[in-house]
Amino acid sequence: MQGNTPRSFKGLRNILFAALLLVLLIVYLTGIFLVKQILAPVNYLYLFVILLILFYGIYPLYKHWRLTRYYWDRVKKHRLALVGLVFIVLLVIVAIFGPLFTADPTEVNFKEKNVPPVGFSNQQSVYNIATDKFVTTEIKWTWQHPLGTDDKGRDMLAMLVSGARVSLQVGLLATLIAIIIGTIMGVTSAYLGGWMDNALMRFTDIMMTFPFFLLLVFIIFIFGPSLAFIILAIGLTGWTGTARLVRSDALSLRTREFVTAAKALGVSDGRIVFRHLIPNVLSPVIVITTLSIPGVILAEASLSFIGLGDPTVTSWGVILQAGQQNLETTWWVAVEPGILLFLTVLAFNFLGDGLRDAFDPRSQS
Amino acid sequence: MRRGELQGYVLKRLLYAVLITFGVVTITFILLRLGPTSPADKYLANMSARTQDPAQVAAAIESRYGLDRPLWQQYGSYVANLFRGNWGWSFSTSMPVMSLIKQHWIYSFQLILLSLIFSALLGILIGLYSAVRQYTKLDYLATFFSFIGISVPNFWLGIMLILLFSVQLGWFKTYYDTGLPILSLANLKALVLPVITLGTGMMAGYTRYTRAAVLDNLRMDFVKTARAKGLPESLVIGKHVLRNAILPVITIIMFDLSSVVFGGVYLTEVIFGIPGLGRISFNAIFASDYPVVTTITLIGSLVVLLTNLATDIVYTWFDPRIRYD
Repeated sequence: MQGNTPRSFKGLRNILFAALLLVLLIVYLTGIFLVKQILAPVNYLYLFVILLILFYGIYPLYKHWRLTRYYWDRVKKHRLALVGLVFIVLLVIVAIFGPLFTADPTEVNFKEKNVPPVGFSNQQSVYNIATDKFVTTEIKWTWQHPLGTDDKGRDMLAMLVSGARVSLQVGLLATLIAIIIGTIMGVTSAYLGGWMDNALMRFTDIMMTFPFFLLLVFIIFIFGPSLAFIILAIGLTGWTGTARLVRSDALSLRTREFVTAAKALGVSDGRIVFRHLIPNVLSPVIVITTLSIPGVILAEASLSFIGLGDPTVTSWGVILQAGQQNLETTWWVAVEPGILLFLTVLAFNFLGDGLRDAFDPRSQS
Repeated sequence: MRRGELQGYVLKRLLYAVLITFGVVTITFILLRLGPTSPADKYLANMSARTQDPAQVAAAIESRYGLDRPLWQQYGSYVANLFRGNWGWSFSTSMPVMSLIKQHWIYSFQLILLSLIFSALLGILIGLYSAVRQYTKLDYLATFFSFIGISVPNFWLGIMLILLFSVQLGWFKTYYDTGLPILSLANLKALVLPVITLGTGMMAGYTRYTRAAVLDNLRMDFVKTARAKGLPESLVIGKHVLRNAILPVITIIMFDLSSVVFGGVYLTEVIFGIPGLGRISFNAIFASDYPVVTTITLIGSLVVLLTNLATDIVYTWFDPRIRYD
């Protein structure tokens, strides 16, 4: 497949990608220069990932459509994986374009607080100073706030849409960092062998000994909660599983003929790793990526839930935590973000399972 | 495996565990020193806010943590203090971290133990049934529910359980009563919701592992032999299949501790207000009480290390086929 692509065109893709990155960098630096940033730093990373996926994910899929069709037919057999995929695509669309259509999620309006979602009513006893009595009032739902409002009158729909963006940003970016580190660690370790392999794997063992969540709490506690840092922390601690998996795959690849042939032709170590080994471990890596995104999304939500989330963004975990405080009066504030979180995790798990079955050669029979 | 061989293996694993412990301690030291504001500064600020003479506090901390000394000496005293059991002073609770841990570990322990029993028993049973009756409706149902169990965020599940059983139905208290003695029925009742919260995800995972492991073993030749010689199916499953399938499942349960259980315990304790180590760490975060947060991270790692070590060693007794060198 690789040989069919004309060299000049492959170069063009890389040049185009680099040019777009340069544009991003210039916009970012201009922002620093002008002191006022157009986008939050995390959004630059997010755009970078989307470009990366377009150029090195979607484009090759289109280029090698025959192979794509083959895998697509296998994934299609998995009904639940398809359902998961559809949900994820919808969520991505909502996360990118949704905030354009919803109200400002941070807008506080005490006149419309505690409005229940459509179809429910909310009875509240309110203390009246003039009469010195508790009066039960009923707040009715409105179409203006289809999912209700919280105790500060913020629109739940707007908050959830903004939370979807945060969750996907964290999920994609942190997983990408973890997967890249894990893949490079695993392949390098297997390919170089000897004391390098030993040292890298001992380091992996040490990192694996830390309970994932406790280590995250520890790091965020020390370095302070900002979204960019949370992403970095999850990415820098979550690579161990990938490293082990990739290493064991690469160990068997290392002795294969095509690697020996490449070595005999005098190909450099770096080129063998990036051109021959990494492309061949990609299918398990894709599966493990899909299956680790939900864990990462949950990790961010859990951190926000215990108060270690970025205070400047509205993430699902933050909404949930606020909802837990007022469970008896406004239950929907805790219920709604949880349902979305649950469905998102479920969707990624379904898709990951489907992809595993599609890529796993043992399930071919 | 011969006796000497086994001893050599155990010794090797023990030495390795010591090495890993040093690695873990070193990484926490590096992280503490890398932080933008040194945790010692925050600690100092909080300390001096509580006592009259800040200069005296500063002197005390300097001498205790030796922040004016070169880095390698700081590292040396950090490691030495940890191994001597001198884990620092928790100013937010006004006691040594060691005594704080001693008071509260039991709450985490009881929660983990009960959840492990609950989830392992149910998970293995459902997984076994699911595998034996593969492709029946109940198998599909079990698979579907295990997917749901794996995906449901446990802190949200906890809140939903409180909402349903405590707020709406009033069967349980919304908050854990810390006055109850650990070994009492009332305490067991208070732990029902927390155990379900923590155990559901674990149970779902164990169901899937058991199902896969039993299915693998059902295809084996020794099962055919057992059936061919006319053993009743219950014996084939109970004696031949389950015995072989359960070992990898138990291994996974032990290795799962670090990823699934610790995060779950932390959140479950926060939701239900159970005063275990997770809750202690949670409270310490807001007080910038860094010796507590550090120590609990280290204790978590140590528990992971010890369970992995124990699993490796116990494995050698259970499965004589495995050879170590």
